[in-house]
Amino acid sequence: MNKRILEETVMRTLMKLSTLLILSVLVIILITILVKGLPALDLAMITQSPKGGFYLGKEGGILNAIIGSLYLAGGSTLIAVCLGLPIVLYLNIFARPCSRLVRFIRFSLDVLWGIPSIVYGAFGFTLMLFLGLRASLLGGIIAVTFLILPIMCRTMDEVIRMVPRELLHASYALGATRFETAFTVVVRQALPGIMTAVLLSLGRGIGDAASVLFTAGFTDHIPDSLLRPAATLPLVIFFQLSTPFPEVQNRAYASALVLTVIILAICLTSRALTGRYTKHTIK
Amino acid sequence: MTTNPHIRADRLNVYYGREQALKNISIGIPANRITAIIGPSGCGKSTLLKSFNRLLETNEQVTISGSVSVDGENIYGQGVEVTAVRKKMGLLSQRPYPLPMSIYDNVAFGPRLYGIKKKQALDELVERHLKQSSLWQEVHHRLNDPASSLSIGQQQRLCLARGLAVEPEIILGDEPTSALDPASSQRIEQRFLELKNDYTIIIVTHILRQARRLADYIIFLYMGEVIEAGPAREIFEHPKEKMTREYINGTIS
Repeated sequence: MNKRILEETVMRTLMKLSTLLILSVLVIILITILVKGLPALDLAMITQSPKGGFYLGKEGGILNAIIGSLYLAGGSTLIAVCLGLPIVLYLNIFARPCSRLVRFIRFSLDVLWGIPSIVYGAFGFTLMLFLGLRASLLGGIIAVTFLILPIMCRTMDEVIRMVPRELLHASYALGATRFETAFTVVVRQALPGIMTAVLLSLGRGIGDAASVLFTAGFTDHIPDSLLRPAATLPLVIFFQLSTPFPEVQNRAYASALVLTVIILAICLTSRALTGRYTKHTIK
Repeated sequence: MTTNPHIRADRLNVYYGREQALKNISIGIPANRITAIIGPSGCGKSTLLKSFNRLLETNEQVTISGSVSVDGENIYGQGVEVTAVRKKMGLLSQRPYPLPMSIYDNVAFGPRLYGIKKKQALDELVERHLKQSSLWQEVHHRLNDPASSLSIGQQQRLCLARGLAVEPEIILGDEPTSALDPASSQRIEQRFLELKNDYTIIIVTHILRQARRLADYIIFLYMGEVIEAGPAREIFEHPKEKMTREYINGTIS
């Protein structure tokens, strides 16, 4: 066979194999949590808080952690958007492109992205000690914000960099200031990418255990104040898995299933919503 | 040369980094005429055009010396607000870039920036300027559709309407028909001929026939220098410079 055609065939096979490999990991994870978790899942699990002895296999549910996780991920994502969007717009619209400051900020964000979440947890904890804050929903939100801010910024940065310069010029030529251009034209044009960035960050925030371990604390109650501790789904899974009782361990899988379904639901709704707002995007 | 030019460039020099793109340009652009800037690719035509509305400055490598005056006022002078300069000019680029919003919002974008909020006033402006760029017939029933759903030719007319809606004095066209099909190009040219009664129009073009059809006044650039400038008839029929003659006859390009 011709060498070039052989090369083509081999490479294509390798690509298919690697796609298959990743897909099968996803499928195996889903099957595992479905097979082990579904039998343990009942209505009480998602509608009740833990009663005494829940972690020994007695009555109750994980509603406290579901609510806690949603509060925590929602709050930190909101803060991260409010901080991240101005950073990214500064980098792309206001600052001189390729200036030292801009390159330094991008480099810092890349480094921050690589820091393990337990370090953010420890840092958040130190900060809380300094501020005299106890393990609480607020502490958790701060730690998770640190964790997802670099992800949010760099993902949005990559999309906003793709906005054509001519589109900016069109807006400037009409007499728009940089600020007006940034918030009307650029944000609209990059909206699908911004949504993706928000989703990635939300997914990362809701699923991370290490950063909330010291900062958000753990409780059997639904948090009713920012200063109270909050339980989170990843920690619930962790605590249930580390008990010696098989039925409690199976509840860990059920909790994982709940977490997966929540993430899936968030993804699907926001995809549907973005579709509605992307019709104006200029190709 | 008219005695009182609308735009006047005086010893204008533009550098991209170390490379000089425009060399000591001193010209006047007559009011209520169509001026065509012609010359081979890379001779600085677009650079000259963009120096008029200060879009050049968005490129950080650029250094500019000399002056450009609009209505007698140096737009590169101290304390001049760049948005006020740009408001005087509508820009049509090579490829139309509608804003990522509806047809209506594209036209209303400029007026809204300048504080027009009332729906009735905006409706009236949108209709007037869409008619002025002969797009109204085609889009009046779907003003809320995305601008990206229009054809390229329609998009360019939308960009014209959008530019006219800020009520400029000057229209700048950077090879405004180069991405369009012949029919759409013709419509844009037709608009220009009608608009020149009320506006000063400057177009960059590499199509000599287009310059012949439209222009009252010609600026011929070569390698960043003005070789010859004057009334179109003179330039085309009795060019003074040998280079202009060669360019018009197609021996240099």
